[in-house]
Amino acid sequence: MTRYLVRRTLHAVLLLAGVSLLTFLFTALVPGNYFDEMKMNPQISPETVAALRAKYGVDQPLAFRYVHWVGGLLHGDLGFSFAYNTPVGPLLRVRAANTLLLTSVAMLLAWGVALPLGIWSAERENGWPDHLITLATGALLIVPDLVLALGLLLVAVRSGWLPAGGMAAVGAEPTTWAALGRDYALHLLLPVTALVLSCAPMLVRHVRAAMLDVLDSSFLRAARGHGIPPRRLLYGYALRAAANPLLALFGFSIGTLLSGSLIIEVVMSWPGLGPFLLEAILGRDLYVVIGGVLLSTAFLVAGNLVADVLLYWADPRIRAERGNG
Amino acid sequence: MISGADRAMEPLLTVESLVKRYTPRGFGGGRGGVTALDGVSFSIAEGSTLAIAGASGSGKSTLALCLACLERPASGQIRLAGRELTTLTETQLRAVRPQMQLVFQDPSSSLNPRLTAFEIVTEPFAAQSRFSASERAARARALFERAGLSFQSATRTAAEFSGGQRQRLAIARALALEPRVLILDEALSGLDASVQAQVANLLLDLQEASRLTFVFITHDLAMASRMADRIAVLDRGRIAETGPMDEVLRQPAHASTRALIAATPQWKAELRQQADT
Amino acid sequence: MKLRANLRAWVLVLAVMHAVVACAGFFAPYDPGEQDREHPYAPPSAIHFRDGYGSLHIRPFVYPLQPVAGFSDRYREERAAPAPIRFFVTGQGYRLLGLLPCRLHLFAADGARVALLGTDGYGRDQFSRLLWGGQISLFAGLMATALALTFGLFVGATAGYWGGWTDEILMRIAELFLALPWLYLLFAIRAFLPLTVSPLGAFFLVTGVIGLVGWARPARLVRGVVLSARERDYVRAARGFGASHAYILRRHILPQTASVLLTQAAILAPQYVLAEVILSFLGLGVPEPAPSWGNLLATIQQYNVLTSYWWMMLPVLVLTPFFLGYLGLASALQGWADPSKMEAVGPGSRW
Repeated sequence: MTRYLVRRTLHAVLLLAGVSLLTFLFTALVPGNYFDEMKMNPQISPETVAALRAKYGVDQPLAFRYVHWVGGLLHGDLGFSFAYNTPVGPLLRVRAANTLLLTSVAMLLAWGVALPLGIWSAERENGWPDHLITLATGALLIVPDLVLALGLLLVAVRSGWLPAGGMAAVGAEPTTWAALGRDYALHLLLPVTALVLSCAPMLVRHVRAAMLDVLDSSFLRAARGHGIPPRRLLYGYALRAAANPLLALFGFSIGTLLSGSLIIEVVMSWPGLGPFLLEAILGRDLYVVIGGVLLSTAFLVAGNLVADVLLYWADPRIRAERGNG
Repeated sequence: MISGADRAMEPLLTVESLVKRYTPRGFGGGRGGVTALDGVSFSIAEGSTLAIAGASGSGKSTLALCLACLERPASGQIRLAGRELTTLTETQLRAVRPQMQLVFQDPSSSLNPRLTAFEIVTEPFAAQSRFSASERAARARALFERAGLSFQSATRTAAEFSGGQRQRLAIARALALEPRVLILDEALSGLDASVQAQVANLLLDLQEASRLTFVFITHDLAMASRMADRIAVLDRGRIAETGPMDEVLRQPAHASTRALIAATPQWKAELRQQADT
Repeated sequence: MKLRANLRAWVLVLAVMHAVVACAGFFAPYDPGEQDREHPYAPPSAIHFRDGYGSLHIRPFVYPLQPVAGFSDRYREERAAPAPIRFFVTGQGYRLLGLLPCRLHLFAADGARVALLGTDGYGRDQFSRLLWGGQISLFAGLMATALALTFGLFVGATAGYWGGWTDEILMRIAELFLALPWLYLLFAIRAFLPLTVSPLGAFFLVTGVIGLVGWARPARLVRGVVLSARERDYVRAARGFGASHAYILRRHILPQTASVLLTQAAILAPQYVLAEVILSFLGLGVPEPAPSWGNLLATIQQYNVLTSYWWMMLPVLVLTPFFLGYLGLASALQGWADPSKMEAVGPGSRW
């Protein structure tokens, strides 16, 4: 068990390292010197610029800068924000938490909806539930995330039922925990709905396809021949057999959700990594951008690692593989 | 079938101590591996046929690929008309390749189903950039004829031919560059019994007409005895025994040879008869 | 064959939609940059068939709009002067397909502005801007698709054909690109490039960036195809004739990648168009005054626009038929290439 975990963790770490190298190379290949641009920014004093230049060793060879930067990363030093004049770490922490909140809730809901619907659809293949679901998912799939988000926003604005932005009510601060929770929930509703609507249809279709594949297999037919009741057949046997592709789908869906959350956060003014990243790009705040990208990748990689672990637990074939013991 | 006088000449094809290993690649690989050929040696005189018989897994296909210089052996020599082949570079090999051609077992995978018969047969010309278009057409026509195919069907795709016809196509293609040696890797094994006989006769006729040398790789001894006068038995990468066909079959010295004989239904009975007399 | 007919139908649908956008100058009554400062944020023109006296006309008409005194964005119709809509009129010059100078427009109103989708803050006709903007968004998306597929083909074929270390390294790099949430990667790359560029520069920038992000998945797919093709006996036979690698690739292996590439093209094109739309929407893509579907929508981010001028949202709807078209095409292509996979994943791999 541990060897498999170690291998997957190593893989994840290598991936992150590779990504860090990639993002670093991007910064190094920036046409024009970032720091020169900074010098022209009246908000930052020349002393700060000089200090930063020295700190980040801009005049040093590339390899040295990378090593230096990674060293800083490992200490939690994500760089310095030029716009906010503070280290990047704490800034991102809050934003990242918000994004995490949004995506986790959306993830739970999306799978909570997609799994039963997909299974049901596969169970009643070519029945009216199946056709209805296929139609509905097809219709939703055609509509791009942006359109969905804007549409929902318009509804919210026009109807006034839901707050159209932000994470919490501005002004009158709710006092009790319950009121606070309710406030958060209300604000979460719109962006989560948008995310779920954009992600769930694809999940439903994939789940359905995976289940159909399994339901068609010979071992399941044999089990049915043995007289095992259909409910147990479906959930005990078929679902477990489909665990492999489904967990891979789970890992994949994290990436989809993260990317989707970016644009939805911007449109719905949810204070997560998305709008912050955008602001940083427009403000040429280099290290915030890198930090944001790295952090989101870290989420993705971590999520995939979780999926790997779950897969190990669910699929005995992986446990049995001699290289893993 | 050659006469005793020819046997005294320098053999056209000589293989000496051929070794071929397959190791799995990738990180931390080399965890074992397979030795497909472990010191294989034999020689063939021009115009004759050597049958190389072995059970599955004995290394037959590997041998075929090595002979055709499609795989590089780990060690050993392959000499064609005195010229050593294993140390040649790819560019040098290109000039030599026409002399030795391979006919595969399954024509549905050895012919690209999307190409027409004409394109298939003239592909060797295209690959070696030889001959003008009209010259290629003329040669293709001749090849079709030799292989017993109607040139009318040249515009059909390979998928539209029957199994036997496809194999004839493969043979026609193999003859395009006028090779001296044909390596037949289970070339008849995938065909129906009746078609087998036809294609076998075709091969024998071609051999006589053009003084071709055959390396006939098979697991079927009955077929081997029809096509060849000498036989080498391959067992787990090594030559178990070699010699004239009737001698080896009458007095099999090695267990694997006996196993092969036993696997041939009509021979079992006949040989038992012979042994008893 | 039903599959073929299906495919043809979708190709036709898409072709028509693209043709309309390509001939934007003809279908659009006005130049996209033509401002009308006297009528900012005018709602979509109401098309009438019945005049003020109650009689029915065959030819539709609109009323010119008069700004209501005291308001900057309220109008009333001037019933006294109906402006008939005429078809196939000569109007402002434009270049059809960027080449032929032309003056013919599908329709225009005689004596008033007919704004089918309303006007924006500068009084520019949104409908015209939608059509012209489509040229940029669609073209950017298609070019980015071509770029990603070309690069993916090159990398995938190299990795699949040569195998060994080349394969390992290239696929690890691809894995890296796939590990990043694509939109974040897109933003990151965009971030490190100059912010203010000319519209043309921005166009190429956007195309290049999107293409750079998207090569990994096609590369993996191509690699798979090439790997299996490489092991075929007819490839071995070709080597046996002394065929060069170039010949084998050209003759036997690359033709097999065609179906994968086509299907990927149908799947990626709408995603990349959307990517351009998102970038422009956020101000990172094609800048004003050049119209693109993205920057057409950008003003919605302002709260007052969102609440008061609902028609500014309408351009968003144009994306849906295109998505539908491409989706249908992708499905049909998948079914055509491999009939057993007809009820396949569908639009699945979104990002």
